[in-house]
Amino acid sequence: MFDDWLPFAIYGLFSLVIPATMIGASFALATRPKRVVKARTIPFESGVSTGPPVKQRFTVSFYLTAMLFVLFDIEIVFLYPLAVILHELAWFGFLEFLVFILILLVAYVYIWRKGALEWR
Amino acid sequence: MTHPKETWWVALIEVGVIINLVMVAFAYTTWLERKVLGRMQRRFGPNRAGPFGLLQPIADLVKLIRKESFFPASAHEIPYILAPILSTFTALAAFAVIPWGKGWTVHGYYIPGVVSNLPISLILIFALGSIGIYGYIVGGWASDSKYAILGSMRTCAQLVSYEVSLALSVLGVVLMGQSLNLVDIVDKQQTTVWFFIPQFVGLCVFLLGGIAETSRPPFDLPEADTELVAGYHTEYSGMRWGLFQMAEYINMIVLSSLAVTLFFGGWHFPWVPSLDKFGPIWFCLKLAILVNAFIWLRASQPRLRYDQLMRFGWKILLPAATINALVTALLVVWVK
Repeated sequence: MFDDWLPFAIYGLFSLVIPATMIGASFALATRPKRVVKARTIPFESGVSTGPPVKQRFTVSFYLTAMLFVLFDIEIVFLYPLAVILHELAWFGFLEFLVFILILLVAYVYIWRKGALEWR
Repeated sequence: MTHPKETWWVALIEVGVIINLVMVAFAYTTWLERKVLGRMQRRFGPNRAGPFGLLQPIADLVKLIRKESFFPASAHEIPYILAPILSTFTALAAFAVIPWGKGWTVHGYYIPGVVSNLPISLILIFALGSIGIYGYIVGGWASDSKYAILGSMRTCAQLVSYEVSLALSVLGVVLMGQSLNLVDIVDKQQTTVWFFIPQFVGLCVFLLGGIAETSRPPFDLPEADTELVAGYHTEYSGMRWGLFQMAEYINMIVLSSLAVTLFFGGWHFPWVPSLDKFGPIWFCLKLAILVNAFIWLRASQPRLRYDQLMRFGWKILLPAATINALVTALLVVWVK
């Protein structure tokens, strides 16, 4: 068990160290500007920038998408283990699969008819 | 799933070699993309640094490291710097579970054909991909700029929507391979048939979802430069911007390798089992073909509108993937 994960741990360490080194190198080797004027450090905008954006509300579509994601991702989490052993469960497993999808289908049709899948 | 024991220093050397090869593959994917895009638009592409512009990636690296590491005064410094590291880390780490060869025994030491042979490698790849989204959203939020925040929200919504279809499209392969271990899935394809034939719908959904998941054109809405300047990395420059680009390209390479592994028989050569010992060569060939297809799409397809993108993901890809999984499950039970 642990032996399987050891190469992955080494690999993970390497893949963390490489980008960190590159950031570090860019700190050490980068050219510095001779003087910093205020206009350089304010955030980019198409015209005259007035500084960082005022905290504002986001359209509800983003939250809706996030909730839909949670709903369907749970579906996948349930289906993966079933898929691995479906050939052993045979018809019983398939019926359970079907019932699960049918319940989900009701929710899916409801979401569709409510217009939650349209981006506004 | 019994395999000979691997000595720790063999693992260390293997990791060192593979991670460097992935970095080289990334560098030359950028070169290839610029070259192919150039040729498709009747230009030459990079041709000054070295023969055929082959030294261009190295010149780019030097330029990016030497560039001023600028950041806006209002940015939150620590998350701003950590975000690109996180994105690159998850992109690189995901390659660890991709099998690229048969495994060899040299002087009694066993060298496996995959960096780490885990029983849950498929789930691990999707999990790392999901963590990678944090890099984009934290980076966009920490820059504290209008375009960056908008871009990161869009990126998040898009990646999250297409991840559902992407994970569901693979379900058919899991049903046929009866395992979540990529090595087992590849072996299963060798004894039966490459899964792109029975799982053709799955492959289509996987590739479309994959293009959106790596935000490549025509689904590159996170970086829609006509609307968002540059999306979540508007305020990034120098090597930090370079790391975000690196994460994007390596994600593309990992996704293509995953497609090769799941649908095109991994490192196997069709019909001639004796050629399997050159596994890495066939793997790289298949990978190169898929990466070229990604670049070709970028050269030939216009970008979608955001509402079209969301509708396509939720109303076409998701039902298609679910029906594909259902039909596959029926066939698996029936044939048995």
